[in-house]
Amino acid sequence: MKKLITSIAFVYSALIAFGQIDRSQVPEPGPAPEINIADPEIFNLDNGMKVILSSNHDIPKVSFNLVMGSDPRLEGNKAGLAEFMGDMLLAGTSNRSKDELDQEKDFIGASLGASSSNIYLSCLTKHMDKGLDLMTDVMKNANFPEDEFKRIKKQYESNLLSVKTNPNEMAKNAMYKAIFPDKHPYGEIMTESSLENIKRQDLVKFFKEQFTPAGSYLVIVGDIEREKAEKIANNQFGDWEGGVPFEEEYSMGYKPKGNRVIFVEKQGAVQSVINVAFPLDMTPGHPDQIKMRVLNKLFGGGGFGTRLMQNLREDKAYTYGAYSRLNVNREGSWLSASGSFRNEVTDSAITEFLYEFQRITEAKVNDEELTLNKASLSGSFARNLESPRTIANFALNIFRNNLPSDYYQTYLKKLNAVDKNDVLKTAQEHFTPNNLNIIVVGNTEVLDKIKQFDADGEIEIFDAFGNPSKQKEYRAADIAPQKVLEEHLIAITESRNIRQAKRRIGRIETLKKTVEVEPKGSPMTMTAKQYFAEPNKEFSSMQVSGMEVQKQVFNGEKGISISMNRTGGKDTTYFTDEKIQDKKKTAGIIPELGLMKDTSNFTLLGLDSLNGNDYYVIQYTQGESSTRAFYNTSTFMKEHTEKVEVNGEDVQTISAKYKDFHKHKRVLFAHKITQIIGSTTIESTVKSIEVNVDIEDDKFKVE
Amino acid sequence: MKRIFLALLTISCGFLAQAQERKIDFVEYDLDNGMHVILHEDKSTPIVAVSIMYHVGSKNENPDRTGFAHFFEHLMFEGSQNIDRGEYDKYVERNGGTLNANTSQDRTYYYEIFPSNQLELGLWLESERLLHAKVDKTGIETQREVVKEEKRQRVDNQPYGSFMAEMFDRLFEKHPYSWTPIGYMEHLDAAQEKDYVDFYRTFYVPSNATLSIAGDIDIEETKKMIDKYYSTIPKGQAINLYRDFLSLSEDEFQEKYNHSKALFDEDQFFTNSSDKGKVLIAKYANKEVEIPRPSIEEPALEKEVIDTVYDDIQLPAVFLGYHSPAQDSEDAKALQMLNTILSGGTSARLNKEIVEDQQLAVSAFSFAFPLEDPGMATIAGIAAKDVPVDSLRMAIDKEIEKVQTELVSEMEFTKVKNQFENRFYSSNSSVAGKAESLANNYVYFNNTNRVNEELKQYEDITREDLQRVAKKYLKKDARVVLYYLPKDKKNK
Repeated sequence: MKKLITSIAFVYSALIAFGQIDRSQVPEPGPAPEINIADPEIFNLDNGMKVILSSNHDIPKVSFNLVMGSDPRLEGNKAGLAEFMGDMLLAGTSNRSKDELDQEKDFIGASLGASSSNIYLSCLTKHMDKGLDLMTDVMKNANFPEDEFKRIKKQYESNLLSVKTNPNEMAKNAMYKAIFPDKHPYGEIMTESSLENIKRQDLVKFFKEQFTPAGSYLVIVGDIEREKAEKIANNQFGDWEGGVPFEEEYSMGYKPKGNRVIFVEKQGAVQSVINVAFPLDMTPGHPDQIKMRVLNKLFGGGGFGTRLMQNLREDKAYTYGAYSRLNVNREGSWLSASGSFRNEVTDSAITEFLYEFQRITEAKVNDEELTLNKASLSGSFARNLESPRTIANFALNIFRNNLPSDYYQTYLKKLNAVDKNDVLKTAQEHFTPNNLNIIVVGNTEVLDKIKQFDADGEIEIFDAFGNPSKQKEYRAADIAPQKVLEEHLIAITESRNIRQAKRRIGRIETLKKTVEVEPKGSPMTMTAKQYFAEPNKEFSSMQVSGMEVQKQVFNGEKGISISMNRTGGKDTTYFTDEKIQDKKKTAGIIPELGLMKDTSNFTLLGLDSLNGNDYYVIQYTQGESSTRAFYNTSTFMKEHTEKVEVNGEDVQTISAKYKDFHKHKRVLFAHKITQIIGSTTIESTVKSIEVNVDIEDDKFKVE
Repeated sequence: MKRIFLALLTISCGFLAQAQERKIDFVEYDLDNGMHVILHEDKSTPIVAVSIMYHVGSKNENPDRTGFAHFFEHLMFEGSQNIDRGEYDKYVERNGGTLNANTSQDRTYYYEIFPSNQLELGLWLESERLLHAKVDKTGIETQREVVKEEKRQRVDNQPYGSFMAEMFDRLFEKHPYSWTPIGYMEHLDAAQEKDYVDFYRTFYVPSNATLSIAGDIDIEETKKMIDKYYSTIPKGQAINLYRDFLSLSEDEFQEKYNHSKALFDEDQFFTNSSDKGKVLIAKYANKEVEIPRPSIEEPALEKEVIDTVYDDIQLPAVFLGYHSPAQDSEDAKALQMLNTILSGGTSARLNKEIVEDQQLAVSAFSFAFPLEDPGMATIAGIAAKDVPVDSLRMAIDKEIEKVQTELVSEMEFTKVKNQFENRFYSSNSSVAGKAESLANNYVYFNNTNRVNEELKQYEDITREDLQRVAKKYLKKDARVVLYYLPKDKKNK
């Protein structure tokens, strides 16, 4: 009993701290905090620079952003020039090599960045003088050294290569070209040939024109007082001289007459990137701009509570994410809605995009979505104010875009005032749901399904850089498809006619081939062994320093492939029925012999030219993979193949060149094969070919 | 050159003299239930960061239930007793806030940033998932798919994205660092609801949580709010008694506790239950929740392990992995400085030598991966087009030998100190950054004020220390060499 009493006493003392609390009650917010946007200080330098200063002493750091005042220029056949110049700006000055610049910058723990229109320095306040010394050296004396020019150009070359495999880049390029097709800086996109046209001298010249004090801004943020800032601005920047800034007005973009479908091919794609975009007749400071922001946020501007997300992801599960982006600039503005979608739902997804564009112009949005999206916008506005850079950038925008001086002070008020009628009116005024650019980057298999969305039913095809391209067209070839293969067999056997050719090939009953395989960049050399036995038995094995890492066997009826996995174990897969059928098409010593058996196995695409030679191009498919073989029109030798290999979601393009032909038992075989897979090159050299030697039947066993 | 050198000298002196002029002031205390609270007032912008750090990461996981800590991070967004499924982030977005979370090997961190008048909402939201999150079948099923999608996007689909997992796997045999926070998907599939519930009961308790708040707050007002939402959560196993009351059926509850659920009040469980119920609550409040922390010591590697991973990549790469000391050791600091010598900034050795001068790599980098227990240091490079990956490895090895055989220059040494100072101020320039720094220092070092001593820690380290740790840890005969090669090289 006593025990119980003490424990109850204990209980009460233990619980005394726990007041009643109703956790189901969502806390009410306190009074809304006042958001003060401090006015930055502004002063001018004699050379035409405007200085914007936002002091903040929370941390002992300071940053300087030098922003040029010129409008963007047209670059024509040197598209990408400005970007290139910006990338090379920190590659050395007439006083410092790149190494010295890097060294000195890192030494003070500073960050120094540059683009075609700005230079940015951020460092501890105590290292400010040194940092500015580096920054102004670049600003005045960048000298674009030749070796760095070569190095960066090489980097661009690899980047351009990767654009062709990046569907998002391709979609973006197509969008810019679609909206700003004519004499507009946004519609100028670097290509391999425009890169080739850019010379070091162009960069030097452009730099001189672009980096000039007149019309430029120096934005100073952080741990520095006005007095010191003025002194520094005058000392470090005051003596800087240059020409007048470049000014130009550009068209606000092209609106298609009806919906316009643009297609960019990505071979073997399993997803389509869809981008639906249209130009906006709106520049910064437009009275509808804040309403437009609310509209865009609610439409698809981030977060889960948007129309596009709710429809395309939450409801239909067509995609992991669908978003809209609003861009309002002095030179041109647009809105785009995009996402990645499985091939099968490409058309359905476009239908939903169009539905949402239509719907937002027809009916008012509901209160909940409006409240949520407005709150989200104003919250992020407030959070951004934490960075002193934001405040300085506000001032910069006010000057650059001629905004009213209280634009940002009253921003939240204007944002909060946006109501359902405003959203509808803005949508009706600015959205053009029947004049959209619908850009699809993907597999040609979706082409037929997306025709319906084009107003005139004619899809435009763009290349990776947004330039119009027709689908690859072959010149007509005046020869029967079967004849190409026959002539090929005659050529490799140096026969008079096809009967003799077949006879000569027929004399080869077995073949043993040893090949040395050398992938460039790989630490090892591999050895491949290939055995064939008529009519269609095959064995191949790949060895790395004597160890078999992969083996594939086909006995004419069944096939197996065994490969070593990471843990040293073996993965075994048997050929599927489809694969067996496909294998039968080309198995054997000379694949053409198998192909020829059925003329429906292959098609003659036509004539094509490569490196000055003409070729007949034969195409055949195996499963989802397809191969194009190029036969020289005068010699009928097969000198080149291009294969798109599809393995589930894995897609690879393999191109091969055949050289150095040698005769074995009256048949010519290539001894050197260069394969290019992606960006890697693999050289194969035939070490030996043995004809009609015994091959143990064991080799072709499938079990 | 002389001019430059002199200029450098003047900059370098006084590095540490004025480094600590700006202190981060804070208040900290423990609640009765063991929860640690850290408050930092910064009124410069009317926003506030509310965060909770749970001292649980993937190293606390059962070896056949990996990925749990990270999975829980997802589950914690599913809702709670008072927050409907799918509503958690809407509360935040609707009130102008933002939220996120992340999981490491050692801890799980949740935070919201709100306009400062929504501080109480933030506290309520975090208290909801601490006290009674929805750990149920529906949430588990949904999040399992999301986590798999995340793994596909972040690891499988990312070139070289699997290197962490592959490296930790080979460097660690006994210690739970052998798996990474994302874990193995089959473990998530195999797990039962009970496994999830047990994980919640063990690690999501006040005594394993640090509440860190920074921003436009009034300290006294904030303390009152914390009392309201957190002091009302009892200590020990009482929280799990309550969770069982919510999730178990009457029969299950009877069987487990020999008492009926009728003893308790559903709405005011801790304050309004019957006397008998209160006795039970007190009894369980006195039972501590034991938090398992692995004390496994990983044996040293005794040879060079060489292996290859085939990935969807264009350019081959090589990753060198070494055992590194625990983050609270002196050696860890020296190793971090050494790491910055190798790869901090464009003038660092790996970039200068290997990427720019020899052009063997498109990028070369290193990580000192600071962890609570001895962890991993990595040095790596991605080969430039047509460069044999082995010549890249040799070039990296040469850089490693250099720091082992020669002292780094005075200039480089000073440079690293300057870079550290800059980094320190940058990471503490936002209220969110400060809330996290404070929590980190408490959870890992049991010394919140270390945030103000962080730079001093490096004061005693010498160039000789850098050379010593290079020799001690970057041993050629005790490392993993991992090659990444394009998949097609395997197939062709």
